[in-house]
Amino acid sequence: MEGLKRKLSESILDKFSMDFLRNQVLKNAYGNDDTVIARLDPRALLVWYLFFAIAPWFSDNLIFLAACFFLVAATTLLARVAGLVLFLFGIGVFAQTGYLFLVSLFFGGNAQTILPLLVLTLKVAAVSLASITVFSGLDPDRLSNGLMWFGCPERLSFSISYAYRMLPMLMEEFQNVLLSYRLRGRAPDTETFAGKIKNLIYQVKVIIHAFYPLMLNTAKRSRTTVEALELKGYRYAAVNKEVKRMKLASLHMTYDDFLFLAVSVFWIAAAVLLNTLV
Amino acid sequence: MNEKKTAAQSQKLMVFVLTMSLYGLATLFTELIPKFQVGIVEFSVEYFLFIPLVLAILFDPMSAALGAATGELVFSEIMLGQFGGLGELEKFITVTIGVYIAGRMVRNPKNTRMVGIAAITGTALQLFMGMAVDILKVQFAVSDFEAVPGLPESVFATEGFAFLNDLLFSGILFCLLPTLFLVPRLYGKIEPLLGMRPRTEETSLGGISGKAVLGVLIGFAAAVGAEMLAESGLPLIDWEASWAESGTAMAAGLVAAAAMAVIVLLIIRRNAEVQKSRA
Repeated sequence: MEGLKRKLSESILDKFSMDFLRNQVLKNAYGNDDTVIARLDPRALLVWYLFFAIAPWFSDNLIFLAACFFLVAATTLLARVAGLVLFLFGIGVFAQTGYLFLVSLFFGGNAQTILPLLVLTLKVAAVSLASITVFSGLDPDRLSNGLMWFGCPERLSFSISYAYRMLPMLMEEFQNVLLSYRLRGRAPDTETFAGKIKNLIYQVKVIIHAFYPLMLNTAKRSRTTVEALELKGYRYAAVNKEVKRMKLASLHMTYDDFLFLAVSVFWIAAAVLLNTLV
Repeated sequence: MNEKKTAAQSQKLMVFVLTMSLYGLATLFTELIPKFQVGIVEFSVEYFLFIPLVLAILFDPMSAALGAATGELVFSEIMLGQFGGLGELEKFITVTIGVYIAGRMVRNPKNTRMVGIAAITGTALQLFMGMAVDILKVQFAVSDFEAVPGLPESVFATEGFAFLNDLLFSGILFCLLPTLFLVPRLYGKIEPLLGMRPRTEETSLGGISGKAVLGVLIGFAAAVGAEMLAESGLPLIDWEASWAESGTAMAAGLVAAAAMAVIVLLIIRRNAEVQKSRA
């Protein structure tokens, strides 16, 4: 029994290592560019997202909200989002409203309080699933192209592309710095309760100290990046219309995109129809 | 003499990239590390705000503030697919304001007391604006907010408590102390790496001017406005009510039109595929 327990906690700890986190994030960013969602035109998806990010907030209608929720849940499945992201989403949605419900019980709330909270949960869930579909279903480059087409500042598209390329390197570097701190330092004994507290403080301290070399290294790297960008005339190109046109020439609306939009409209219209009939 | 005072454009871009990558990385981790609660006190490593605070105190505050907000948006929201629409706009603006104000407050990074005051002020400002916007958000998302028993008090209580908890716990442990630790150590060391001179009394941008305060107020109004769209979007609600009445026919028409579109598109697509395979 004891052995089983130890084994179980070990395997959970294994799962939650730095490498696991890194893999999940990378998988989410790069791993699924062969799904139905990823092949759609980013502009169509962004328009679609705009509706599902805003419309649920305005409605208190249960049928409409449920329809939105089921549609975005289906698209999330189609986008094959990484497990960790969905897990975080679940915690985020239910922790927030569940906590609010418990506290409102404290202030004399009753079972009646739960209905508006359920509506709120449904709204939040629909909106965040829509964003999960779009932002983790799409390839970063396609996403930033789509945003640029809609006139988002060049800085933002640049940041997205840069972030996706640099992230693996940054994470590795952070991990290396952390590990070297751990090698040189001596972690407190964790046998007693006081030791555990001390250990926690020690870990947090190490993380904060690790940012000192990391800041210096990243400063060097960002100087190199910016100088390379300057050499290629980035700041000039960022505001040049011709460059933008060339960059966005790869975007095409296909029948699939229109089909996707039409199916969504059909589904929502059907929900509205059902609502008027009931 | 003007070039000496303000950083060059490319240096601003460097500060932007630097803050974005560092703060983005930190928020990515905090998003992934689960929080744990002891009783009602939440212990979360939520707050790595010390990174942009340090950089805003040492470099150009505006670039650092924008970099931090963008980094959080891109790394932890968009990359993880946690982008929450309008809510993120609010966070973007509050982080920018908090970091910018803190950066402007410090004229000489060697002055430890001022650095401390700036760090805690920036944090408190950001947290307070976040709290105000959160309360408004729940008020607009739940219809008949006042009528639901126990809800208003509980929202005020949870938000107010979260504010104090964040400020006293995360604010001091993860913003104030690390900033006080890092600023003197990095001062004079990190600037040459970006090809700049360290900030001194003479080269600082000066204290907070009326213009900055005005900009802050407008920014906060925009943040609240983004959340309040639900309330002021009255035409949308009217529109909803009108289709609820005249109703069924129009909804049926919509369904029919959408169904038509789906069918037509399916046929066109099949035809296109057939043609492609022939050619």
